[in-house]
Amino acid sequence: MSNPISSNTENPQLSQHGTNIVLGESYPHLMDAPLEINGHSCGASEVPNLNRFKQHGFHFNADNCIACHACESACSEKNDLPPHMAYRYVGSIEGGEYPDVTRINISMACNHCEDPVCLKGCPTRAYTKYLEYGAVLQDPEICFGCGYCTWVCPYNAPQLDPEKGQVQKCNMCVDRLEVGLQPACVDACLSNALDFGVIDEIPLKQQEAKLSIPSFTDPSISRPNIRFQLNQPLPTSFQRMDDVPMTYDQVDAQKQTETPNPSAQSAFKIKEKKPQTSSDWSWHKLRSREDPLVFFTLVSQFAVGAFLMLFLLPKWSPFSETLFLSQENATVLAGTLFLIVGLQSFALLLSTLHLGKPQYFYRAMNNLRHSWVSREIATMGAFYGLIVVYSLVTIFPVLVSWLPLQLASLLPTFLGLGASVLGPLGLYCMYRCYRIPARPFWDHWHSGGAFFSSGLILGSSVMGVIFGLTGLASAQEIAPVLRLFAIFSLFGLILQQVAQTQHLRYLLERGEEASVSRMQLKTVFRKIDTARTWSLRLLIGAAIFFVLFPPAGALGMTAWSAIFIITVAHEVVGRALFYVLVVPTTVPRGFFWGNQTFESLARKSGLAEKPQVGVLSDKH
Amino acid sequence: MLFGRTHKNEIHLPVKPVDKWVYTTCGYCSTGCSLEVGVNAAGKAVTARGVEDAAVNRGKLCLKGIYEYEVFESQNRGTVPLIRKNHKNAFEEKSWDEALDQTAAEISRIQAVYGRDSFAIVSTGQIYTEEFYTLGKLVRGVIRTNNYDGNTTLCMASAVSGYKRSFGSDGPPGCYDDFEHTNCLFAIGSNLPEQHPIIYYRLQEARTRRPFPMIVVDPRVTMLAQMADIHLPITPGTDLVLLNAMAHVILKEGLQDEDYIRLHTNGFEGFKKLVNEYSPEKAEGICGIAADMIRKVARIYAEANAAMTIWTMGINQSTHGSDGVVAINNLNLITGNIGKPGGTALSITGQCNAMGTREFSSCSGLPAYRTLENEADRAFAADFWGVDTRHFPDKRGLTETDIFPAIERGEIKGLWLIGTNPMTSMPNTPQIRKILDQLECLVVQDAYTDVETVQSATIYLPAALWGEKTGVFTNTERRVNLVRKVVAPPGKAKSDLWIFTHLAKRFDRAKEIKFAETAAEVFDEIREISKGRLCDYSGMTHEKIEAARGIQWPCNTDNEAGSARLYTDGHFQYPDGKAKLIALPFVDNNEVPCQEYPFWLNSGRVVEHWHTRTKTGKIGNLNKFSPTPFMEMNPRMAAKMGIAAMDYVRVISRRSSAIVLVQLTERVAEDAVFIPMHYYNCVNRLVKGLLDPYSRQPAYKQSAVRIECLMDQDEAAKTAASLRDY
Repeated sequence: MSNPISSNTENPQLSQHGTNIVLGESYPHLMDAPLEINGHSCGASEVPNLNRFKQHGFHFNADNCIACHACESACSEKNDLPPHMAYRYVGSIEGGEYPDVTRINISMACNHCEDPVCLKGCPTRAYTKYLEYGAVLQDPEICFGCGYCTWVCPYNAPQLDPEKGQVQKCNMCVDRLEVGLQPACVDACLSNALDFGVIDEIPLKQQEAKLSIPSFTDPSISRPNIRFQLNQPLPTSFQRMDDVPMTYDQVDAQKQTETPNPSAQSAFKIKEKKPQTSSDWSWHKLRSREDPLVFFTLVSQFAVGAFLMLFLLPKWSPFSETLFLSQENATVLAGTLFLIVGLQSFALLLSTLHLGKPQYFYRAMNNLRHSWVSREIATMGAFYGLIVVYSLVTIFPVLVSWLPLQLASLLPTFLGLGASVLGPLGLYCMYRCYRIPARPFWDHWHSGGAFFSSGLILGSSVMGVIFGLTGLASAQEIAPVLRLFAIFSLFGLILQQVAQTQHLRYLLERGEEASVSRMQLKTVFRKIDTARTWSLRLLIGAAIFFVLFPPAGALGMTAWSAIFIITVAHEVVGRALFYVLVVPTTVPRGFFWGNQTFESLARKSGLAEKPQVGVLSDKH
Repeated sequence: MLFGRTHKNEIHLPVKPVDKWVYTTCGYCSTGCSLEVGVNAAGKAVTARGVEDAAVNRGKLCLKGIYEYEVFESQNRGTVPLIRKNHKNAFEEKSWDEALDQTAAEISRIQAVYGRDSFAIVSTGQIYTEEFYTLGKLVRGVIRTNNYDGNTTLCMASAVSGYKRSFGSDGPPGCYDDFEHTNCLFAIGSNLPEQHPIIYYRLQEARTRRPFPMIVVDPRVTMLAQMADIHLPITPGTDLVLLNAMAHVILKEGLQDEDYIRLHTNGFEGFKKLVNEYSPEKAEGICGIAADMIRKVARIYAEANAAMTIWTMGINQSTHGSDGVVAINNLNLITGNIGKPGGTALSITGQCNAMGTREFSSCSGLPAYRTLENEADRAFAADFWGVDTRHFPDKRGLTETDIFPAIERGEIKGLWLIGTNPMTSMPNTPQIRKILDQLECLVVQDAYTDVETVQSATIYLPAALWGEKTGVFTNTERRVNLVRKVVAPPGKAKSDLWIFTHLAKRFDRAKEIKFAETAAEVFDEIREISKGRLCDYSGMTHEKIEAARGIQWPCNTDNEAGSARLYTDGHFQYPDGKAKLIALPFVDNNEVPCQEYPFWLNSGRVVEHWHTRTKTGKIGNLNKFSPTPFMEMNPRMAAKMGIAAMDYVRVISRRSSAIVLVQLTERVAEDAVFIPMHYYNCVNRLVKGLLDPYSRQPAYKQSAVRIECLMDQDEAAKTAASLRDY
């Protein structure tokens, strides 16, 4: 392990992450500008702190913390937080056996990272990293409550307040810093555990500045500005006191000395804890607060898939004949477009209402420069706009009758082509939103694979139903139509199969939280997982059958419809699993406060109806 | 570095405009922290801060202190007196005149029909010293029942009794500053980080500046045990054996302070003979601590030159609590560790003013450590108050724990409870409910109407809370500190002092006795009556106390600034000025685990809660850390029994049962469980509570239980949630 003291003296300007701790030399105009807090403005010259433009951070001595919650309470008191919110929280891990037991308490708030993933992820640009102290501050007034920053932060620092519909987080007590005080939490600490200062300058009463301790998330994700001290002899394994089913196991000491990599200095590795294999189906565990996203993502992917098929296939000569007759049927075309647009509108409405402050939906594209969420909304929004206009001009050509004839006839093609480009682009942006290092389960190409495969599978299944029925109604031969869509479905299903296989392998290799997710899948959701494996095989088999021997007539249509129902169920369950299986990287929490199992218990049992329990009831 | 912004956004942070800061002393534990409450222009308490130059807390506060100002807005405060015929009827709102008339009439009626002592009074450790003093005067001088006690019998009685037996008087001899001078800290049955976080802060600061060995004795691996250099995980209820064995080693190896023993103690020979029987090997078999470890610890303690012991409920709440305290005093006397910097036997007290009730409430005697048994003391108090001395009984009456059985026997028919909640805090609470429902009259004087004991009350008197009135508290280190009135009490609620003085007016017998109406006037009386006593207040005034951020008694013309330590000259309160070394044979009468009830049940505090949660259970930012009862259980044992974390289980003792959530931790042994004491309908349903023969304090910490898994977890969760209102 590198000695932080010597590395600092060699180059006092660099943090252990290798970044310059002197901030903002390239922003002279911002250094001169005063910092305005609550209407008071403070210029650099009025602030007694000579280090004002250096990166500051917390220092946590894990040997000393007694979990007295004084830091947490001082913070909540100063920031006037209701019981269900906190910017700082104390959690614990424990190892050893009675009476030789070691409990390590960890007090954690925002780490004001060098690479603030929250700031980059936020679509509204509510975050700013200030030159003053390197504080990463979030403005709840700008925030519209999408909660994406709470996904990307590896430390659970930003907190979504469902009551106010906005995110709030630690503000480093910049108002106190400006008058020469320490942050409220540091001031309140009773056991010389929490300190604060210029990052990597070891505080007066502390001896070392480690980058990590057991149970702290990999610092390479966001280069957090927190340093640790932990000197006591440690047991070989730690358990969490909260509900996250993982342990921290000491890796082989031999191995540790062979890899003197300072960023991987934690000698502890996360290991999944095997829960009791569930004998029931655990259907209720599929529900989560992300339920609207299950609907939104599936519908959006369906819309893209279906529209592309509807628009492109007839233009592609080998297929034009198959679909030609149906395409001619204006009612069917209008109906299909209406279905796609209608579902997509509903999904967009739902996802907007899912925001804490839907009235500020227009802020979603504030951060195109950094945020994949902004980009997703921009592209999906444009796709939606284009398909709406496309539908209007297709169904009601009279709307564009004032245009020159040639232009009017070309317009739908332009619109459709635009949507055909933006739709997949939107899905790509959507996929990128889920490439979150703090959520290892998603951080794999399988997320994209799942999204595109859903587009193909759902799009083709629905198209098959619509055009099959149309064909049947007009006594057409429907087998070629079904075969055509079965081919697309097969592509999607195979993509899904490959993505899933690769993903499972990745989960094992990535280990840590990813393998916890895998363990959950194989234990808690064992039955659902098995059912899903078989339903995927069934769907692949059925698709192959339809490609090779497409059954005709009512029999074919009945079979397709049955498969369609299985497909939808398969997709919905799969997507629900996608959300519930995520195990975010988190810093351990306590037994009650911040423990999700307790929160759901409190809601179910009626305890949460008492506001002083600190759990918001279902009403919110 | 500054992403995507060309200008600095203005920053908005919450502000709490404070119009004035009001000086107070925290009303939770006995640490005695000075805290200032910020009041806004509308007169509402909006924030709090530790007082920077405070002798005790030096600007720090624990979480309860930080959020203490929120008690002013807490739910279900009593705002109007209530009366009903019996506990099955509904309450009716009454005026103070009606309520006090009725209270006085009921007291007189019951005393007239059943005798003077058939009306009992149990007060608290949480009202001001001025109020305790006035209550004592009312009870001893006017009501004259001898069945008058404080709930301090549940927490500090063993310490009081132990101090009296060893030193001839109550009064903790040490102070927090002893941490700065000691060379060895021996903590037995005390968990500072959880129970007295600010005392832990003082200890931690001292150890950071100047490391010294810390030895912690506790059956549970508390945070303090984990921070210790040596942790002795003792078998519950066997502390006395350990302490005797340590004395055995010290005497055997000649490590004692012969001069001190000769000059300042009596009873050495008998003591020596007794401890001779407690070899470390014998102790090992009983305490589960290796004989060599006992020797090692005894040597460290004896050779430290300045060594101190602290203890709390781990000692006090056991069947030999008083003996445990005496054994600690013995250890310190034979090593000469009393009254010197860093050498002391310091009982870490529980409630904010448990000390005040011990000093001036007259519940176990007469003001300023005077006793009923002493004729001169009786004569002095009678003269001072203008009462006929014949009205004073010549020995102390029943303690709280004996009052309840006396109600059961029909000897006591009326009870007045002041600021205490026995329906949650007494051992074997199902029995307590039956007992209370047997009373003809139960007066409950409390700040909250939802205190569980009110369920059995016939008269409810709404009292002001801490900070809604002015007065003083005494802390663990004898520091008298001031609480100023921050806000007015809600509705018609009145200070306890007002209630006592106005109730006194209802009795003809009170005509001769003058009751001072303001806290400052009462304080002057206390100064006068304490003059020349060990707890001498004569050199203090409210203003002087505030300016000094608390003054340690004795404070008089000789010690203007107060006194950090007692017995610095080795002169004790026994008539001959010598302390007693007392031989303490160990009698094991604990309920111990057996096949049917295989687990030790231990109980104790959590940092976020105070007593029966009537205050902290309503402050969300405290309560959220443990909003419902839980039980610490060993994970290996749980695995054997098929119990998982966050499961509800039923815990069953020979008395009753309780439902708790399981928390898995290696802090507790495989055959032990721990349940916090704070919850209504929980651990005290299970506790046996055998009484200490000297202090009459219940043994809360040693009971035997078994654990049953609950099949229907959803149902259990709903039942558990319905068991308490807050």
